[in-house]
Amino acid sequence: MLVVVLSTAWQAQAQDANAQYPSMAPLDQYLMTDRNAEIALARSAAPEAISRDADVLVLGRHGYETAVKGKNGFVCVVERGWMSPFDGDGAVNFWNPKIRGPICFNPPAARSILPMTYKRTEMVLAGQSKAQIIDGIKTFIKQGLRPLEPGAMSYMMSKEQYLTDDDHHNWMAHLMFYTPLMDGVVWGADLSNSPVMLNPQFRGAPEPIDVFMVPAGWWSDGTADPVRVR
Amino acid sequence: MIALGVFALVIVLGEWGQALAQDPKAPCATMAPLDQYLLMVDRDAEIAMARSAAPEAISRDADVLVLGRHGYETAVKGKNGFVYVVERSWMLPYDDPEFWNPKVRFPLCLNPPAARSHLPLTFNQTALAFSAMSKTQMFDRTKTAFDKSELPVPEPGSMCYMLSKQQNFGPKYGNADPHLMFWFPQKDHKNWGADFPGSPVDVHQYSPQPIAEFVISASKWSDGTAAHTNVH
Repeated sequence: MLVVVLSTAWQAQAQDANAQYPSMAPLDQYLMTDRNAEIALARSAAPEAISRDADVLVLGRHGYETAVKGKNGFVCVVERGWMSPFDGDGAVNFWNPKIRGPICFNPPAARSILPMTYKRTEMVLAGQSKAQIIDGIKTFIKQGLRPLEPGAMSYMMSKEQYLTDDDHHNWMAHLMFYTPLMDGVVWGADLSNSPVMLNPQFRGAPEPIDVFMVPAGWWSDGTADPVRVR
Repeated sequence: MIALGVFALVIVLGEWGQALAQDPKAPCATMAPLDQYLLMVDRDAEIAMARSAAPEAISRDADVLVLGRHGYETAVKGKNGFVYVVERSWMLPYDDPEFWNPKVRFPLCLNPPAARSHLPLTFNQTALAFSAMSKTQMFDRTKTAFDKSELPVPEPGSMCYMLSKQQNFGPKYGNADPHLMFWFPQKDHKNWGADFPGSPVDVHQYSPQPIAEFVISASKWSDGTAAHTNVH
């Protein structure tokens, strides 16, 4: 089980004093007191037909724990702000304690992407700074990171997701596809009228993964995503 | 440059009439006269249709192929590695009633990995259709080609855009909806949660191709106008 060093958690001070969330908030702000609510939120990332048979993880004081054992190889989990990029515009939410990113990984992603969630979370809970986390991930990539499996993808279709403090907290229902680092142009990402977006999440800084996103069009509960046409 | 060699099989136009007669009761039971599949009377129209598969920001720098009497030809040489092509009905599954429907048009925008690994299949199927084979013969030849690795499986990252309002899947589906397709070597389709209720992912597996084709609807046509997609 992951080690939590609560006494040092608050020492994980970020460098950007101008950011709205310059450093780690008290750990309790990142946790959900209602375990069942976190399970439900995690499952809401994908249609019920998928998530009902998935493993479900919840975040505890010592890291992620398996709350429900599934049988279809998918893993649903609520990620926190520290899965954001370390730098750039996307980094503004890195320490935002309100961020809740329900996500259901398909089996290849559960095996080859989820370990990065574990690793970042482990180091955050150990009270490490961004710089220390980056160094730790670089070491992890060299020593312990499994190769990316073909076909790794995930669902983020929860209407309850909180991905930004902007007006549309839940942004959009979308799917994510994981590839080795490549030029986003290869998928036509982020071009005018293209439905494909390149997520700034990893991009080799330092995880050697690119994440492409495609709008899903509706939430996991079947209701339309009105933000979809943009 | 994409090799068109596979497509350089001999066309025996005199045998057109023999590419006939599986089920005379079924719609488009046999191949129609070649001219009905071609748009050569207006080459520019086929180029424009091909380019309508994806947003202009992609298409303006891509290769564009057109179908002629001797197969696909490069009509426009691009520089971004994408390739546009209007596929015909013989890219459908062999048991599809529209397999020989000459009105079917599939404008595709292939990204560079797909251009390398999907186009050989397009050329292969087209060559077989042009050689007046029966569907059974086409099936067997394609299966053998994959078995012998003469046809490639999809490269990692292979995908394409199908966002053209002009696409025509036949009388049942019309222009369907705009969508993206992702190709992989054949896998258990449940790995993507495809075809589950509420999932935005569909999967196609066309025997004898050892390929899984995942389909995700898009919100807009390539011209930026909104499409209307229903929850599965």
